[in-house]
Parts: sequence; C-alpha cells; structure tokens
Amino acid sequence: MRIGVFVCHCGSNIAATVDCPSVAEAAKLFPDVVFATDTMYACSEPGQDGIIQAIKEHRLDGCVVASCSPRMHEPTFRRALERAGLNRYMLEMANIREHVSWIGKNKELNTGKATELVRIAAEKLRLNTPLFANQFDVTKRVLVIGGGVAGIQAALDCADAGIQVIMVERETSIGGKMAKLDKTFPTVDCSSCILGPKMVDVAQHPNITLYAASEVEEISGYVGNFDVKVRRKATYVNWASCTGCGLCMEKCPSKKSHDAFNEGVATTTAINIPFPQAIPKKAAINPEFCMKLQKGKCGVCAKVCPTKCIDFEQQDTIVSEKVGAIVAATGYDLFDWTVYGQYGAGRYPDVVTSLQYERMMNASGPTSGHIQRPSDGREPKRVVFIQCVGSRDKSVNRPYCSGFCCMYTAKQAVLTKDHIPDSDSYVFYMDIRSPGKGYDEFTRRAQEQYGVQYVRGRVSMVYPKGDVLVVRGADTLAGTQVEVEADLVVLAVGVEASKGAAHLAEKLRISYDQYGFFMESHPKLKPVETNTAGVYLAGCSQGPKDIPTSVGQGSAAAAKVLTLFAKDKLESDPQVSSVNQNRCVGCLKCTMTCPFGAIKDVKDRAGNTKAEVIETVCQGCGICTVTCPHGAIQLQHFTDNQILAEVNALCQPELEF
Amino acid sequence: MSTLEQLKEQIRKALPDLDVVIGWEQGYDAMHATPLFIREEADIDRLIWSPLCVHSLGTYLTGLTKSSKVQKVGLVVKGCDSRAIVQLTQERMIPRENVTLFGVGCSGCLSHARLEYKVEQGGHYVEDMHAITFNGDKVEVAVDGGVESFDFDTVCLEKCLTCRFPNAIATEHFAGEEVPVAPKREKAPSLEAFEKLPLDERFAFWQDQMRRCVRCYACRNTCPMCVCRDHCISTSRNPHWVSQEASTAENFMFQMIHTMHLAGRCIECGECQRACPVDLPIMLFRRTMVHAVKDTFNYVSGADPEATPPLLTFKAEEDNINERGW
Amino acid sequence: MSARTGVLTEGRELRIVGFLCNWCSYGGADTAGVARFEQPTDLRIIRVPCSGRIDPLFIMRALVSGADGVLVSGCHPRDCHYAEGNYYARRRLELLKQFLPITGIDPQRFEYTWVSASEGARWQDVVTKFTNRIHDLGPAPRMQGGSGYDELCLKQIEEGVKQGAACPCHKERAL
Repeated sequence: MRIGVFVCHCGSNIAATVDCPSVAEAAKLFPDVVFATDTMYACSEPGQDGIIQAIKEHRLDGCVVASCSPRMHEPTFRRALERAGLNRYMLEMANIREHVSWIGKNKELNTGKATELVRIAAEKLRLNTPLFANQFDVTKRVLVIGGGVAGIQAALDCADAGIQVIMVERETSIGGKMAKLDKTFPTVDCSSCILGPKMVDVAQHPNITLYAASEVEEISGYVGNFDVKVRRKATYVNWASCTGCGLCMEKCPSKKSHDAFNEGVATTTAINIPFPQAIPKKAAINPEFCMKLQKGKCGVCAKVCPTKCIDFEQQDTIVSEKVGAIVAATGYDLFDWTVYGQYGAGRYPDVVTSLQYERMMNASGPTSGHIQRPSDGREPKRVVFIQCVGSRDKSVNRPYCSGFCCMYTAKQAVLTKDHIPDSDSYVFYMDIRSPGKGYDEFTRRAQEQYGVQYVRGRVSMVYPKGDVLVVRGADTLAGTQVEVEADLVVLAVGVEASKGAAHLAEKLRISYDQYGFFMESHPKLKPVETNTAGVYLAGCSQGPKDIPTSVGQGSAAAAKVLTLFAKDKLESDPQVSSVNQNRCVGCLKCTMTCPFGAIKDVKDRAGNTKAEVIETVCQGCGICTVTCPHGAIQLQHFTDNQILAEVNALCQPELEF
Repeated sequence: MSTLEQLKEQIRKALPDLDVVIGWEQGYDAMHATPLFIREEADIDRLIWSPLCVHSLGTYLTGLTKSSKVQKVGLVVKGCDSRAIVQLTQERMIPRENVTLFGVGCSGCLSHARLEYKVEQGGHYVEDMHAITFNGDKVEVAVDGGVESFDFDTVCLEKCLTCRFPNAIATEHFAGEEVPVAPKREKAPSLEAFEKLPLDERFAFWQDQMRRCVRCYACRNTCPMCVCRDHCISTSRNPHWVSQEASTAENFMFQMIHTMHLAGRCIECGECQRACPVDLPIMLFRRTMVHAVKDTFNYVSGADPEATPPLLTFKAEEDNINERGW
Repeated sequence: MSARTGVLTEGRELRIVGFLCNWCSYGGADTAGVARFEQPTDLRIIRVPCSGRIDPLFIMRALVSGADGVLVSGCHPRDCHYAEGNYYARRRLELLKQFLPITGIDPQRFEYTWVSASEGARWQDVVTKFTNRIHDLGPAPRMQGGSGYDELCLKQIEEGVKQGAACPCHKERAL
C-alpha cells in the first residue's frame, strides 16, 4: 500500500503547540508511507487540492490526515479522496487538534503524541479496504413529536411540500406553551391570533395526521425506515363522533378538576375541552376527577352528550406508523419554583409564576383578562417581578440563562400598566438580556414610556405583612437594601426540558445533556441535526428559545427532512458487520446481543446454520464482533485486526521512537 | 444391583437406537481409565465406573454430532460432565435431541498428579504402582509389594473438594443412588493460597509459569467448552490476536483468550489443567473468573439449560456492579 | 505537577491507551479540547464506534504488550447511541476488572467510565485522575523472555535442584 500523510497546521491552532513539519518528517519512516507533508489548512480548497494532487502524483492508495477531530471533518476529507478517485474509506484521521494541540502546551510532548497518533492511523489504514454503500428505499413520511409552535411549523412546512406528517401531541390539544400566552414580545400582538390559524391549518391539512392525547411508545428502525408505535391514551370520549359542542362541560358536576391549561389558576370540569380554540376541539375526561371513573356513580356527560360519544370503558390503543424521519419538538416545562422557599413560592397565593400571570392577563383566561389577586380577587396596584427564578443559579443546579424571561417580564410589566393604568411595576433583575430585533428598544420602552421600575439585584426574601407581600432585596446599583410592598409577586420561572424528554431521547437514541435538553449534532453548524441520522430537533427541546427562534428551527428541521426526502434512495453506511461464513459455527450468539435484529440465520449449501447480516438494518455498533468467540463476524472498518494494529503500534516496544 | 450394572443395563436397552455410547474402560495400566466407544453390545462388558473415570467425555460431542456417520450419541456423565452438556445445549452447539445422557452420581475422581506426588514422597517410583482400590474414604495403592493408604481427600481432584454438582443433571437416564451434595471446601485451596500473595509475587509467578507453556493447545483441545476448534482466534491470522513469536507474553496472552472466552461458560471440569503437559496451574484463572461471574451476576454456568449466559444479556440497573464513582 | 490543572510537568510519559466510543466519550474529549481544558499528554485514544465494540481482550492485549494503563469510556448507561452497547460493555469490562488481580496485573491500571459528549470538564477530570494514578503506580511490569527454558533459566533450575528444591515442572503438584 502507498500511504500519504498530511499534517495540518490549522493556522496556529495546531502549529502553535505541535511541530507539524517534524511530525510529517517522522511519518516518512512509517511502513508503507511514501509521501508526507505539512499543510496550512488541510480542509481549505487549496489544502484539499493539495491532497488530491498528491494522491495522483504519488499514486497513493490511502491517506492519513492529521488535523482536527474526525467528528468535524471526516466527511470533508472523504469527499476529497473520492474526488481523487479513491474509496472514501481509505482515509484515516489523527486528531491532533482537540486531542493534542488544544489540551497541552508542551510542544515536545505534543509533537511526540501527534507523531504516535499519525502512526496508529497509518497502521490502521494499512488494513483498510474499500467499502461500498448499498442503497435502500426511503419512507417519505415524517413524525413530528410535539405540537407546540416549533412542531407545528415543522409539520406545516413538510405537509405543504407534499410530505405525509404524523404529529403526536401529549396533551389533548396542540398549541403548546404559546397557546397559553396573552401577547407576545416585542410587538405585543395577540398570541392566539397568530398561532390559532396555524393550529387550524394543522387540523385541516390533508397531509397531516394528528394524534393528540398520545405519546410515542416505541421507536425502532433507522433513517428512512423508522417503525413507530404511538400510544393513544384513553380520553373516555369517542373522538370520531365528538363535535366539541361543550354540553358535557356545562353539566359536569365535578367542577374542581385541576386545570392544567390555566396553570392551576382556576379549576375546570372533569370532562373538558382545555380552551375554546383547542385543536382538535374534542372533550376528554380527566379520570382523576371523574366521579364515574373514580366511584362508579354519575355519568351525567354520557346522558347529555348529543352524539353519545362518552365511553367509560375506553382503553389506551397502540397505532403503528412507518416514517422516514423524525422531528423532536417536545418543548419545555417550568423549573420547580417551589424550591425557592424564600420567595414564598407555593405558600403565598399571591406569589404566582409568569405562566400563571399570562393566564390571568389573557382575555380568554379564567378571569377574562382582569388581573386579580388569587387570594382575595382584588385588583393589584403594585406588582413585583422577580427574574432568574431557576435560571443562572448554580445553587439550584440551573446555571444556564433561560433566554426569554427578560423579554416576557418587560412585556408583562407593560401589559400590567395597560390593564391597570394606576399600577406600579417593579422588576428585580440580574442583567437585562435583550439581544433581538427590536428587543432592547422594547425593554427601554417599558422603563421609559411605561415607568416600570427596574431594580438591579437579587431578592432575598418575600414575606406577608397584612394583606400585602413585602419584597426585600438589594439594589446593587444604589448599594442599598430595598423593600417594596407588593400586592402581587410574579416569578420569572426558568425553563427546563419537558418532562419525560430524557426518556424519549433514549427511545430516539439521541443524546441529551444533564438538564434533559437534546444534544444537537454540532453546536454551531448542525443545530437541528442529531447524531442519529434521520432525527432532527426543533424549538426548546434543544435548549431555551423564544418564539421566532423556535419557528425558525421548525422550518430548519423541515428543510432537513425535505433534503433527506429529496432522494428516492438512501445509501447505507457500509461500516456494518459482515460474517465470514467459513469461520461461523452457527451458534447465533450474535443474534442474541444485536440490539437491532440485524442478524438472521441462514443455511449454507451443506445445510449448516450460519449467521448473516442484514446490511441495511445493521447500525455498525460492533457488539456482535465482541460476542463472537471465533471472530467470524467482523465490523467493517473496525475489525479486530484493525484495532489490534492500533494497539500494537502503541504498545510494542520495538516500535517506540 | 450396583451402579455399574444398572448403567450397563440402561445402555444395553438404549444401544439399538444409538450409533455410539461413550463411557470409560480400563486403561493401559491398573491406575488409568480411558474413554470407551461402545458400538456393539459386546463392548458394554468393558465399561467401568470408578474414581479413575476422570475424562469429561462431552468434549467429543461437538465433533461427533457434526459427523455424517454419527446421528445419535450416548454419553456417560458425572455431575461436572453433565454441566458441560447443559452449557453446550444452551449455546446451541449440540443437537441435544440427538444426545442421550446416562448419568451417575460421583463421590470424586482421582488426581493422578497428587497421588503420584505422594507415592514419590513415600520413596517409591510411580511406575511401580500396580493396583489401586477405593475403599470409602481411603485409597489403597499396591506399590513395591506393599500397600500405601491415603485419605481420598488428599489425592482427589481439587475440583471434587468444592463440588456442588456430584450428580449428573438433566439426563435421560440415571444409574445408582444420588450422592449427597457436600462440598468440603468453599473455595479451592490452591486459589485461597494464591490469593494471599501480593500482586507483584503473583505476576512473578505467572512470568515463571508462562515461560514453560509450549502452546500445545492441549488445554484448549480437551476443554468441552472450546467449540471454535479450527477457528480458534489464538491460532488464526484473521483475526490475528496472538503472534507466532514464542515468548512468555504471547503464551500468557493465549491463556487470557482462553479465560475470557470461558467467562460465564466455564463449568470448572479442570480438564485443561489435567491435560497440561507442563503442569501450568491454569485453573487459578478459570476459578477466579467463575467466582467473578457468580459474585457479579449470581450466575452458575451449566446449571440450567433455559438460562441465558450472563454475557449475552444485561440489566439496565445491574445488581452488583459498583462503578466506583468514576 | 501543577496543582491547578493537575498536569504532570516532570518525568517521562507512560503508555496509556484509551478506547473511546465515537458518539459520547470521543465527543466529550473533543468538547474538552474545544474548551482548551488542559490534560496530561500520556493518553493515546483509539476511536471505536461503541463501547460494545471493545473486546476485553483488546485491553488485555494492550496490557500484555506494554501499556502501563488502559482507560475505557463510553456513553452513560441508558444513553448508548446503539441503545444497548454500553450495557454489554459494562458486563464484559467489569468481569475483566475483577479478573485482573489473579494475573498479578494491578487492576488499578485499567478503568472504565462513562463520559457524554457534553462533559468536557468531566473528561479532563477523568484523564487527569487516571494519568496521575498510573504515574503513581509507575511503569507496569512486563512479561519477559522467550518460551521454554533458556540457558539462564536452566542454570537457575540446576542450582535450585542442587540446593534441594523440586523440579519446577513438579512443584505445583502439591497444590
């Protein structure tokens, strides 16, 4: 084999702490290396051209590129090899940036380490063989998990492009958090006026199948061919015949049911349609509060229902769907604000969350948009907003900024003034974060035009005094303690990943961070992709985002789906396992450990049992290769011999230099 | 009727439906038994059953059942031998329906190595032993015209001291009385003694031992669980785990492959160590692995044909894996 | 050694081999690099798709061939990119860990752990801690010499037998 080695300086990223020319010089002595050079930017156009030229000039069979992480540029250099007429798998990379130059300052040690990493890459390359992809069909249907604004946008964009969309929403209506909001910043336009039409589009679009009150039960398969099982939870109402007339809600005697849509600000009936604009507009019974389901007595709704669609015997059902791509848009939930005992969260009725306040201000909310104190129904004249409750606070393990609280707090303060002109608002803040189009202007307007008092400092405690709440905090700009007597305290509660997000991530086989937010494939360059092919992210499932960004991501995820579906056939990764039938003794232990059911048993001509890999199903993990005691099943590109070559290059003393 | 007579009777009845039944017969001298292949009724008379019948005959099975000439095989098995069959069945390495087992209860087998050592210590030559009788807890050996008597426990195989499976399990036939399960030791004495050594002395010990290995692969070939045969990765080029270099390190690596491949499978028959021509105490490796499997997964190999071997399954929350807070 | 970063500043490097799964730990090591988290330089990383691809025998091979330490890292249990690879890996690696002491190889020379792609700081910590541990243990003993009895060895045996020791091929029989 004729191997070429290219050692990248990456400007000064590598060259500052690695002697790249001497790494290339050392590489010339390695077995089969016929050409070695250093290059300023291997990934740049001249850099890639240099590789292609060297391949042709020196008749190279394979290349080692020593540069950044293969997770970054392996596809780039593979394409360069292909342009030069080589098979893409005749490339090996030595990661001398993330794993060498960026983590150590000792140039001598770094250079030695870089040389050895090139050495093991070259030793592995000597055993590489060209691999060729198989083609397989794509199911051009997409699953969108989550019916908030990000999921709605992704679904509508895909559906408008002619793609069949399956939308799964956990609640009984789509709309997500945005449906609960009163107005949106910085334009102060009505949230449901802009979201409502999109929700209706989802319901009416011929290409969208909506499963509300449903959850993803199980996902198997791979990009282009996922098999999804959806659990349709029992609503005790036959939705096929429910017209959403609401008669059942009027007559239901159980009127103290928890109202999740109104964030517990009010109560609702056991059978209910969460809000007037709900999509689908269907009633569902909350079994926790239904007297018929709890005690077996009542059944009023069944008696009054004009279409006789109440079914107390209803069970969960499972539906199966085949899709080719998945968009996860599971949104966010509020941090558990009750851990802030010093703010009286959860103890004083007049300390509410920002989302509760949205419902209190909303014209279609339980108070018809009249702001009232939960304790006595009195109109508050002095409202204090406390920011960063569960954001930027290491003590509660939420060190990150939730991003949009500064903006909605400004909005809520402005709206408070609109609703109650003679009211005063105070905002306790750490920093005002308003880096969006028209955002900073908006927060200024809140202060200058609406007279909202911004106090820079943390609140140390909130305590009741008579029928008001005393908010005690620091004003760090004035260097004083301040106390404000408030009629109502609104906590700008930080956001965290939606409940159950981690569990879903496991089903999707995608990564998530310690807060449950899904991991994107690359923080800058692949913000809506995941490391699992065919699974994309949108909205707050990936991290806190405001509405415009969520919508943008919904469209971005849709664009990725459409890009995937633009091809009729996908190429399977040839880095899959392969059985040497001569060595296979047919024990089929590999079939027992394969997580994907990618190995089947076949009979050879003599009638002996042998294992065989289904290439399009195999994901290339290599569990089988370790399971097989006689090494009959080998993961291509990561065979025993290839890994052993790397180990031997590192460990055998005669190879030390 | 004695165990042997019962056994013969059972084999006699079953033989017409079987191509071959494997048992033991008297070997080349009074001290040894050797495997007997019974193909005709007349062969049955040569069958013996005594503590000399050390060989685990299951090791023939994977080869035999592949042969086109042999369809149905009968096998005489002790407790430990039967565990090998259970394990092979679990792993689908043998067509169990074509195998008929004739089980016996076993009170322990003779360790020729330990007996010979004792006889030599008594000032005799091993070659002069010409008769052996097993008399309850005693073993009497006729040597040099006299008789030397030993406690059976001092000359039995070490595995018999810790044996929890004296009676053959999952067999079609069983001859004689069941032997009570009464392990004399919790842990093999050799392992207990070895574990007292500090790490550096252990390493030095193996350095000394592994140098002697001649890589004859007798340990592998006699192992009933070594089913790869011609495809053993210790001798293949693809994959190429062990180099051809004759060195202590490579000899050691071969033993590591054997041990790791027996993880969760070894049934402690001890045939590997018994077969070793240079007396490498490789059962130390096997027993350590067996204890690790038992401690970690509460799994005993070759005990239940329906069980799943521990390395072919997992639990999301493992019961006994302490990840040491890393 | 500087107390702040824990990076070894003196003494020669030891041979530490790392086996990292591509999706989590290799990514975590990249994340540590991107964040410029300084680490000792001894470790050489071999990238594999999944911790389930790591045969315990690779670790044995490395230790027998001259590695002073072997570090394995994969996705946290439940987060495996291939759903189950790290569960199998955990069982295999745990058995190896428990087996090592009988060979006289210090089990401290082998560690397995879980680092996700987002845990750059954790990766720095793992590498630093493990490298320091291996430096505390020092270079690993190596199996020396060829097979059988070389001349030197035969002489030793002769001496031994003269002084009344048993021939080595018989001495284990007393066990």
